[in-house]
Amino acid sequence: MSEQPAAAAPPPTRAEKLIRAGWLWTILNSVLSVVIFLALWEGLLRLFDVPVWLVPKPSDFLGRFLVDYREILSNALATSVTLAAGFGLGVVIAVPLALLMVSIGALERGLYPVIVFLNIMPKTVIGPILIIWFGVSPLVSVLVVFLMCFFPVLVDSMHGFRIADPRLNYLTRSMGATPWQAFRYVRLPASMSYIFAGMRIGIVKAVEGVIIAEFIGSSAGLGFMIMRASSFMNMELLFCGLVAVAIVALLFNILLGTSERIMMPWIRPR
Amino acid sequence: MDTSTMSIGASINARGLTKSYGGGEGAFHALGPIDLDIKPGEFVSLIGPSGCGKSTTMLLVAGLEPPSSGSIAIDSQPLTKPITEVGIVFQDHLLLEFRTAMKNVLLQQEIRGLDRAESRKHAEHLFARLGLLGAEDRYPWQLSGGMRQRVSIARALVHEPSMLLMDEPFGALDAISRTQIRHDLEMLWLETRKTVLFITHSIDEAIGLSDRVFVMSRSPGRIVDEIKIDLPRPRPAHLGEYPDFAAYAKRIYSVFEKLGVYKFD
Repeated sequence: MSEQPAAAAPPPTRAEKLIRAGWLWTILNSVLSVVIFLALWEGLLRLFDVPVWLVPKPSDFLGRFLVDYREILSNALATSVTLAAGFGLGVVIAVPLALLMVSIGALERGLYPVIVFLNIMPKTVIGPILIIWFGVSPLVSVLVVFLMCFFPVLVDSMHGFRIADPRLNYLTRSMGATPWQAFRYVRLPASMSYIFAGMRIGIVKAVEGVIIAEFIGSSAGLGFMIMRASSFMNMELLFCGLVAVAIVALLFNILLGTSERIMMPWIRPR
Repeated sequence: MDTSTMSIGASINARGLTKSYGGGEGAFHALGPIDLDIKPGEFVSLIGPSGCGKSTTMLLVAGLEPPSSGSIAIDSQPLTKPITEVGIVFQDHLLLEFRTAMKNVLLQQEIRGLDRAESRKHAEHLFARLGLLGAEDRYPWQLSGGMRQRVSIARALVHEPSMLLMDEPFGALDAISRTQIRHDLEMLWLETRKTVLFITHSIDEAIGLSDRVFVMSRSPGRIVDEIKIDLPRPRPAHLGEYPDFAAYAKRIYSVFEKLGVYKFD
């Protein structure tokens, strides 16, 4: 009897290397373009001597990140939590609903027209109604975020579930698979790239939604901070808010991209 | 391999099988009526022009589609739901793009709840026999068309089914791969003697592999000729070595000519 070798830490798989390379590249790329962009901004404004109250230079407001980091960070955190909650809620409801609608014809015929209508309607108009229902609270922002990302995820997931090769059904049935097994082993992973495509659109919409919702009905978050800075003509803080929103959006995109690579290691690297 | 786990091929008996799609005036009569009698461990091919209902026949035999009329019995048991004692090889492989070659094969083990170690051992044996060593951890997009179809064959055999259904499995492959994979399939079949229903539009493949060939007419497909292929096994790459091969091929061609499948002046 030969001894089984002890389980050692496996060398990094191709997928893991890919993720690391992807991270590095994303960060390097964004840092470089941000630096060039800021330098151009600073240079042009100095050249034409633009006053701070009209457009601040990076040197005017970047320092505020250090001075006001507490305020900026806590608002950024509030926005991130709202974003994560609304987006998570959207995905958790949209994906199972998509499967149900694709599987049950009557449900799709009944619900799809409503969904098409709601999808076309700009979701932010519902904000004032939500404020009447729930008052000025983070719940309003969460619900707006939910509505913003719900539809792209739903529509793309439905497409993913529907487009699957019908012969896959033959395959799982000939294996005696239960409906749950067929979903877990075949249908869900087969539609994963479509669900992620929906989530990629959804996250962009969600960031848009969270800021607008915080403009109109919130007492925390970057949208709220920007609105308040605007009413005080605090240009420096306003621009800090703008940059912070971009950073939050970027982080969420990176997070999504990374989880996509981890959950779908089979995707052909491009 | 442990012979006690080896299943004996199933028998297939079908009577008056027809299949129509849709109802009323727009109904499309796709198949039949046909009768099929396949003995345990027999290798039978269905050959016919495209759209004649060959693939439909396979789905009916697997219990995956209900016949419009007629009945099927597998091992004398009337067929009422999909049979699971079966391996199916579809046209263009139908591998799951998100699983490696080995995991595609072991999907059978996971869904059927078979013993992991035993299935893995059997899968490795099949990989060796099918020339797939080294491909275990590759995803389908990293494999050539021929290798994908070989993985698909391993997936259809890993759970030791009593019957193998193959729907134009080599149709998308080049002629050289096709000849090799035909031989590899024959060798595997000689080892286990499962009942095989092999759907093809290639006369070479039908004669090269089968004990019997059923020739089908154009849609709605009927069986118009049945040819017993009496050639020694394993059969060579170049079937022309046998004078009988030419006679069998000529017979199929002449049936097709009579049916108007071929129009040569």
